[in-house]
Amino acid sequence: MPHVLFVDPNEAEIEAPFTAGDTLLHAAQHAGVDGILAECGGGCSCATCHVILNPSWDGQIESPSAQETDMLTFAIEPTPHSRLACQVILRDAHDGLRVQVAKRQY
Amino acid sequence: MQLAIIGAGQAACTLIAELVRGNFEGHITVFNGEGITPYQRPPLSKTPIENSLSPERNQLLPPQVLTDPRITWINMPVDTLDPDTGEVTAGNTTQDFDHLVIATGTRAIRPSIPGLADEDLQVMRTWTDRLKLAAATHNARHVSLIGAGFMAFELAASLCHPDREIRILARGPRALPQTSAETASWLIKHSAASVLTHCSVEGFEASTQTLQTNQGSIPTDCIIATVGSTPNVELLTPHGLADADGITVDALMQTPHPRVSAIGEVCRHHHPSLDRTVRIESISEANDTATVLAKRLLGQPMAFHAVPWFWSDQGTQKLQIAGLANRDDEAEILTADDTRQVVLRHQDGHITAVEAVNAATEFMAARRLFERGDIRLQAVRKVGSVMAVLQSSRS
Repeated sequence: MPHVLFVDPNEAEIEAPFTAGDTLLHAAQHAGVDGILAECGGGCSCATCHVILNPSWDGQIESPSAQETDMLTFAIEPTPHSRLACQVILRDAHDGLRVQVAKRQY
Repeated sequence: MQLAIIGAGQAACTLIAELVRGNFEGHITVFNGEGITPYQRPPLSKTPIENSLSPERNQLLPPQVLTDPRITWINMPVDTLDPDTGEVTAGNTTQDFDHLVIATGTRAIRPSIPGLADEDLQVMRTWTDRLKLAAATHNARHVSLIGAGFMAFELAASLCHPDREIRILARGPRALPQTSAETASWLIKHSAASVLTHCSVEGFEASTQTLQTNQGSIPTDCIIATVGSTPNVELLTPHGLADADGITVDALMQTPHPRVSAIGEVCRHHHPSLDRTVRIESISEANDTATVLAKRLLGQPMAFHAVPWFWSDQGTQKLQIAGLANRDDEAEILTADDTRQVVLRHQDGHITAVEAVNAATEFMAARRLFERGDIRLQAVRKVGSVMAVLQSSRS
């Protein structure tokens, strides 16, 4: 099974298996990754599932929608590689993706 | 401490997660009357009906919380409780607790329609409701939604199909009375459903598959009631701690009885940001009340201070509301173009809510400003955007 490697706010590393079509949020929640609130449950409405994708994966993941980009401006200290985990759909090719969970969601 | 949590929805699960995270020194017993592993509710109405959902893929709690040894899960509804002794009875088991948390939420109102068997009336509140609706709409060509709130418009979008006619029947003069007429117009214009106003349902005629209304017969092979919900207060009513509009709690989610607290959609309390006492049905209310109670139970009490917010996905349209307006508050369109619209609700020069369709930055900016306090109407009018007000306040 492919997996994503999450690094939580305390720098703990968690391997999260996924099935193609899962969101990054789903993979994180299922693996019990700390530091992701996802208050709206994955509806792109709260900006509390902020994660930062490893820059080496640039171009291999679908770009954010305008809605997500808007919401990301309200994440705490967003970077050019910031995403909302609820909006990233995983494919098999994303096996091994490294994801840093934002230090704070508020 | 022996803690009983009655209910396993959003509020209960946020409380559980926060208690686990805060190393709660006690034992938690959760009474989950639905008997299904706790799941996310928003996707039930917001996801296209042909997309299959599964409770496993929509779990509210991570596996390590579900299996935490400090938590006992009882998949049974509670029959009775006694606040004075802390006794909770479910089936033929009775246990004593030091503290009881009522997180029983709400249930869909099921209007009685002459000629229609109750089992043929669809509602949307639970996982079971979603499965029933998927089956009932599989071949449905004429769907009638009775009631014209957010739920009706979300379901209309989720049921949208080229071979299916969808009608929303509003009893009053207009649909979506929770929003301004301006926001409602936008959403009606973009909805797959046609909306009938001043429409009251008189009965259902099974032989002709028609809904009888004051405006004539409407072909209907699936009827969904979206007339709202009612709080599940029955466990506390006999003890004088609840009425038909919920359980009143203080700023720490405590009822007048020292052994009983209530959180989520079932409770009603004073909202400092609104300066009134209301019961609110929303994810933010569930999370915020649960967080307040968790802090209190962990010995770090902090009064409720959050600002309510809401969202509704209706197909490609995303409505987000920061704050909560009174129905008679003024409304004015701040900005509108082909793709987005922002409406300000206000009273006496103060903004009470910002209704944003496909305008997330305005919604989020309003939330941030409300969290700090007041938003003056003049300040937003002057610069033409809530975001600009936020940015100028930061600099």
